[in-house]
Amino acid sequence: MDTAERDLLEEALRKTMTAAATGASLDTALADLGWTQMLAEAPDTAVPLVFRLLGETGTQAAVLNDVVLRAAGRPVGGTLPLPYAGGTWVVWARDGATEASALDPLLPLRRVGTGEAVPLAAGRRALGWWLLGTGHAMLDLAREHVLERHQFGRPLASFQALRHRLAEAHVALEGAEAALGATDDDTGALLAKAAAGRAALTTARHCQQALGGIGFTAEHPLHRHVKRALVLDGLLGSTRELTREAGALLLRERRTRRLVDL
Amino acid sequence: MRVDEFRQGLRNWLDHHDLTPPPDDSLDAQVAQLNRVRGALWAAGWMRYGWPPRVGGLGGSGALRAVLGEEVASRSLAEPGIWSMVEVLVPTVVDYAPPTLAAELVPRLLAGREQWCQGFSEPGSGSDLASLSTRAVPDGDAWVVSGQKVWTSLAQYAARCVLLARTGGPGHAGISAFLVDMDHPGITVRPLRTMHGVDEFAEVFFDDVRVPAHRMLGGPGDGWQLAMDLLPHERSTCFWHRIAHLYATLDRLLADGCEADADALGAAWLDLHTVRCRSASTQRSLAAGGRLGPETSVDKILLATAEQRLFDTARDLLPGAVELAEDAAWRTGYLYSRAASIYGGTAEIQRNIVARRLLGLGKE
Repeated sequence: MDTAERDLLEEALRKTMTAAATGASLDTALADLGWTQMLAEAPDTAVPLVFRLLGETGTQAAVLNDVVLRAAGRPVGGTLPLPYAGGTWVVWARDGATEASALDPLLPLRRVGTGEAVPLAAGRRALGWWLLGTGHAMLDLAREHVLERHQFGRPLASFQALRHRLAEAHVALEGAEAALGATDDDTGALLAKAAAGRAALTTARHCQQALGGIGFTAEHPLHRHVKRALVLDGLLGSTRELTREAGALLLRERRTRRLVDL
Repeated sequence: MRVDEFRQGLRNWLDHHDLTPPPDDSLDAQVAQLNRVRGALWAAGWMRYGWPPRVGGLGGSGALRAVLGEEVASRSLAEPGIWSMVEVLVPTVVDYAPPTLAAELVPRLLAGREQWCQGFSEPGSGSDLASLSTRAVPDGDAWVVSGQKVWTSLAQYAARCVLLARTGGPGHAGISAFLVDMDHPGITVRPLRTMHGVDEFAEVFFDDVRVPAHRMLGGPGDGWQLAMDLLPHERSTCFWHRIAHLYATLDRLLADGCEADADALGAAWLDLHTVRCRSASTQRSLAAGGRLGPETSVDKILLATAEQRLFDTARDLLPGAVELAEDAAWRTGYLYSRAASIYGGTAEIQRNIVARRLLGLGKE
């Protein structure tokens, strides 16, 4: 896929996702746009693009199933139990009729008793891009708010305490994006998901603070992104668990892997 | 030469040429070791790659210098801070000095025959560098320099100084740069005692120092632009060296038998991995002809954060290594890491830049 084709695809995807399509109807719309073929033929372009846009637009689709199924060498289009933080398992339903997860009512996740081990790197990479997109959605909302709202006769954006919080969020997101560019192996994918989860949670904290009272209401869209970040962070291993796993690898190997070179 | 070819050849050469430093961690010994390593690498050609032929180089991309510094830091052959100083000094002189002057002097620095220093900060001008007050006044075929510099690394060893001084009015436009010989009458160097015990920084006093007019770098008023042009070098190659040093430090922490705290070690690695990925991406865009701007403040923040977390982790997981151990290595490294969020533009200045230039939040 060349740059022009990629840009066209991004445009089409964004349009689809912002046309209020989410959940099962977005799955259908993505299928119409050729999701299955994209995933098979150009996953390195399609996965970052689709998952990041899910985050940025605050929509959701069950496509994580396809990424994990494909990595496991199984036919796409179905579901499978996915590991969740704390040694639990969830299923991301595709029928649109399943009960929602407790925290993020729009995500059709439900707990299941157990599942079988599947390769996780591809799914972690996809979730990393999603978390990055969610982070950017929150930062955009906070940025808009501090530029518009005035207190003490000046915009909130002119107060250094808030500027530094948003700068911190931006730095975390940029770092995560760099790590997401180095996911050729399992360890790279693990570290990238950890970096993205951490960045999304850092961004959630700073943006929530910058938005003040309005960000705590259900009338403002921030809360949906915050909840999404929390739920996605736990999927296929939380930031905390993945960081610990990286540390355990260091302790076993006694040498720090250099995963990228010039 | 291709980067991977260079790396392989260099590693092979280093495997067969022992440049291990002597067991003396005094600053004199560090500087002597720096000269020894530079001399050997220059003679073997490795030190010449990535610099233009007009100053004795063999050409090729700056990434070759990043890889050279990475190998030097990974093998702990030279102290990475003083190793990287050429990255800010040489490009300045190559781009701004009269060509014959650059051709004469730069090889002496690269070959380890001289040290140079950088006279930028002043007691009254730290974060607000553009307010600097050291003056240079024209007098015949010379400029007469008066004022004081501070935080001038290796000034007590230096043969030359890349100096910023005010030749015009207030602000950026009134600043010019000079390449000053440090043996001129009127220059006094006084090393600063620092908290980490390595007296690498100095105060430099200029009392009516006559600097020949042809030692101006660029033209009158070009000093600020010169200082800004340093940034891409500092934030690509230099950072890569520092990151390599931090990876070697994490390896040393594991080798020294630290407590098996997987959470803390994983977090330290995650920070290092993140800044390494970011720096690699910055250097790829530089190599592709991109201009580096305010987005390198992100690299700077990630690096300072990673360095401080790493040494905090070392202090936690090697109890007493900083406070009580006879061997000064962890103590020195820990204390020096406290400066990582101060030198090269403070953490606060970097966040101001991110907010203003990258997030478009307007003025404070």
